Amino acid sequence: MARTNETIAPGETILSLQNISKSFDLGRGRSVEAISGVSFDVKKNDICVILGPSGCGKSTVLRMIAGLETPTSGLLDLEGRQIAGPGRDRGMVFQAYTSFDWLSVRKNVEFGMKVNQVPASERRERADHFIELVGLTKFADAYPTQLSGGMRQRVAIARTLANDPELLLMDEPFGALDAETRWHMQELLVEIAETANTTIVMVTHDIEEAIFLADQIVFMSRHPGRVKEEIRPEFKLGERIADKEKVISLEGYSALERHIMRLMREEGSKE
Amino acid sequence: MPDPVSDKSSRRKIFAIRQPVSRFQIIVSAIGIWVVFFGIWLLATETGAVNQLLVPAPQKVLVTIYELFVERGFASDVGISIGRVIVAFLAASLVAIPLGVVMGAFPAAEAIFNPFVSAWRYLPAPSFIPVLLMWFGTGEAPKLALLFIGVVFFLITLVMDHTKNVRNELIETALTLGAGRGTIVRSVILPAVLPNIVVAMRQMLAVTWTYLVIAEIVASTTGIGAMMMRARRFLHTDEIMAGIIVIGVLGLTFDLLFDRLHRWLFPYLQEKR
Ligand SMILES: Nc1ncnc2c1ncn2[C@@H]1O[C@H](COP(=O)(O)OP(=O)(O)O)[C@@H](O)[C@H]1O
Ligand SMILES: [Mg+2]
Repeated sequence: MARTNETIAPGETILSLQNISKSFDLGRGRSVEAISGVSFDVKKNDICVILGPSGCGKSTVLRMIAGLETPTSGLLDLEGRQIAGPGRDRGMVFQAYTSFDWLSVRKNVEFGMKVNQVPASERRERADHFIELVGLTKFADAYPTQLSGGMRQRVAIARTLANDPELLLMDEPFGALDAETRWHMQELLVEIAETANTTIVMVTHDIEEAIFLADQIVFMSRHPGRVKEEIRPEFKLGERIADKEKVISLEGYSALERHIMRLMREEGSKE
Repeated sequence: MPDPVSDKSSRRKIFAIRQPVSRFQIIVSAIGIWVVFFGIWLLATETGAVNQLLVPAPQKVLVTIYELFVERGFASDVGISIGRVIVAFLAASLVAIPLGVVMGAFPAAEAIFNPFVSAWRYLPAPSFIPVLLMWFGTGEAPKLALLFIGVVFFLITLVMDHTKNVRNELIETALTLGAGRGTIVRSVILPAVLPNIVVAMRQMLAVTWTYLVIAEIVASTTGIGAMMMRARRFLHTDEIMAGIIVIGVLGLTFDLLFDRLHRWLFPYLQEKR
């Protein structure tokens, strides 16, 4: 099942957005420009976090990468191919719960593989592997309605990863969770990124979350949405640290946090 | 130290806003309301406040129900009525569910069928009785057709609306997992909307019973409604009331069966709340 891509090595560009703009038609000849001239690259196996105040077009950018929206202009390039419509190579996890309530956890995780005609035995094996990775082995036969919010998001993540996408796209996946669960999920995501070797593009408006998770931060400003600054948190020295407390206490963390807070405040004063 | 909050709740009011009620209280209340109903009925007939010819005593109606079933073969009428409801309702469901789901999933299908369906919904089904009788004669066909027309358009609309309410994120999740249109309709939209379809069926089954009685009263010599019309000719109000009670009991039974079906089909929904 693993579609090994020989051409792109870890650290090379896998996704490239070039001068993307998007206007939404509001009817009666009116339209709103949600984002304008957005360009950035994402490297293979990186965690790229799109950060910015609400309404700056983060979701719109992510949905265009997923193929759920089409850009008004610009190029969206994944591994040298143009993105046209949604596909299994870009799995999406939403903030709202998307578990298929009528299927058990295991059947949920198998869903994508079944759609893509993976043989039953391999399906089962991969499902069990990813259910274990997100720590839900005990709940494999439970229904999602029996699980807590954090566990449901873990099902969604396992379901997407088991389908072996090139990109894992996440739109504020932990936004609906309580603070402690969110903390756990963030640490789990760092571990998963290490073990599963996936490229992740994630949207958030939570500065702490962005700095903790990101190898690359794309900060967006609004009206219309633009890339204001690209940041690589150098203070982590290229290491992934799954312990949030440790990251926060590193030298350089608070300087970066202050810098981003200033960016946020500038956006806030634009209202 | 007495806790003022728990102190208050220990003297629980019977009528407390949004407070759950014990099983005992539920049963007593349910029986109570019927005891009051039959009590008033009994009182009215015993004191002679109403004409016994028009409103027979409740015990008389119960005896009549017994006699109808045991001595006068009423069971076959009841069987015929149940049969008509089931056949017409199944036919309506077989048309309405697939069409409603397709209309709810594909706006293009809604654009085609909805102008037609909504117009039909506003036409009272009984207004078709004369023409149905002319087309289909006096057999089962005109009765079944009336029930079908009376139910199918409402059921289509209910199913379509529920289908439209399936959350977009579920569909988009399936798209990013690589699912195509057919798979999404069959494996995401349909199972997501199915519990609501069963609820809609439960509501429309009650409506089917209404049309059944209309059909049997107007144009039938068999079935519960026809029995009631025969009884009217001989001023047998006890038989008419017996018919009403039997229809009520049947309706309630079907409703309970649907409730059971819902629980049995969708065990995962029991966990919520
Ligand atoms: N489907 C849509 N139709 C019209 N306007 C939209 C639509 N989606 C997003 N927008 C507008 O585009 C802008 C960016 O939205 P969004 O991408 O959701 O921002 P964010 O995720 O950063 O909060 C907002 O002003 C929003 O109102
Ligand atoms: Mg958003």
